Amino acid sequence: MERVAIERKVLSENDRIAQALREQFARCGTLVLNCISSPGSGKTSLLERTLQGFSPETRVAVVTGDIQTDNDARRLARFGFPVRQITTAGACHLDARMVEKSLDGWDLGRLDLLLIENVGNLVCPTSYDLGEESKIVILSVTEGDDKPLKYPGAFAKSRLMVLNKIDLLPYVPFDMEAARRNARSIHPDIEIIETSCTAGNGLDSWRQWIAERMRLAAGSPSHA
Amino acid sequence: MHEMGIASSVIEAVRVEVTRHPGARASKVGLRLGEWAGVDVESLRFCLEVLVKGTELEPLALEIDFRPQGSELDIAYLELED
Ligand SMILES: Nc1nc2c(ncn2[C@@H]2O[C@H](COP(=O)(O)OP(=O)(O)OP(=O)(O)O)[C@@H](O)[C@H]2O)c(=O)[nH]1
Ligand SMILES: [Mg+2]
Repeated sequence: MERVAIERKVLSENDRIAQALREQFARCGTLVLNCISSPGSGKTSLLERTLQGFSPETRVAVVTGDIQTDNDARRLARFGFPVRQITTAGACHLDARMVEKSLDGWDLGRLDLLLIENVGNLVCPTSYDLGEESKIVILSVTEGDDKPLKYPGAFAKSRLMVLNKIDLLPYVPFDMEAARRNARSIHPDIEIIETSCTAGNGLDSWRQWIAERMRLAAGSPSHA
Repeated sequence: MHEMGIASSVIEAVRVEVTRHPGARASKVGLRLGEWAGVDVESLRFCLEVLVKGTELEPLALEIDFRPQGSELDIAYLELED
């Protein structure tokens, strides 16, 4: 019997494409955010509110992934910014190649911000690097405050947790402090913003957070 | 839900490695899997079994080195016999 070391990432092909995308985004000074959550936590709603707050000259585009339908792209296109839908036809996550293809024809040099809405799923998308600068996990209060412990991968890998639907707190037994504690037990430095996409709470903090990251992306040394 | 895709990539890598060792057959593959990799261990085992069944790779033993609080998703080694 002979044992040969292979030491290869299973997703090395995805990682290779993602790394090439990351370098391209950095060169172009484009901030790329990968939004991950369970189905229905409010990814599209948050992006709608985000686009709604931008002035028309903002250089932003959105790529949104779903297993079926272009409903989300149609919702997001109403704000006049470029939007593309990726329909994965069964796949439970976006991968780097899908993102690469979806960018075809877009001049990244003219984009300061690219928002990616992943397929609604709190597990699989965390395995696939898309070349993003940050992952953002959205958790809504109707899902339960223990979710960071049950689905640790998404929280471990995200820079920011958005706690959404806080307008529903009076109706559900969700302990905000426990949710924050649970997320920090997985990822001590995770940033947290509380929002309601329907009532509008927290959206200013969210916009400031994006603006700050955009400043950093534009000023990064690799920006040509 | 994407364990089948992961399993296919593993099998592909095993086949590539086997062709580098003429006359040998693969007996065991060793994976390293982090708790946060987004992959269910049992489901991955099942998918690998399904993919190996009835092929020249059967039987292929599987050893998973599970890493708590890790994000690894690696093929660590392959065992070959003549
Ligand atoms: N009450 C309340 N409802 C919200 C809030 N944000 C989103 N919703 C509602 O939650 C539902 C799902 O929101 P979406 O934005 O479609 O969720 P999503 O994460 O994009 O869903 P998928 O793309 O299908 O995974 C919709 O009916 C929204 O109106 C919120 O802050 N408060
Ligand atoms: Mg959506």
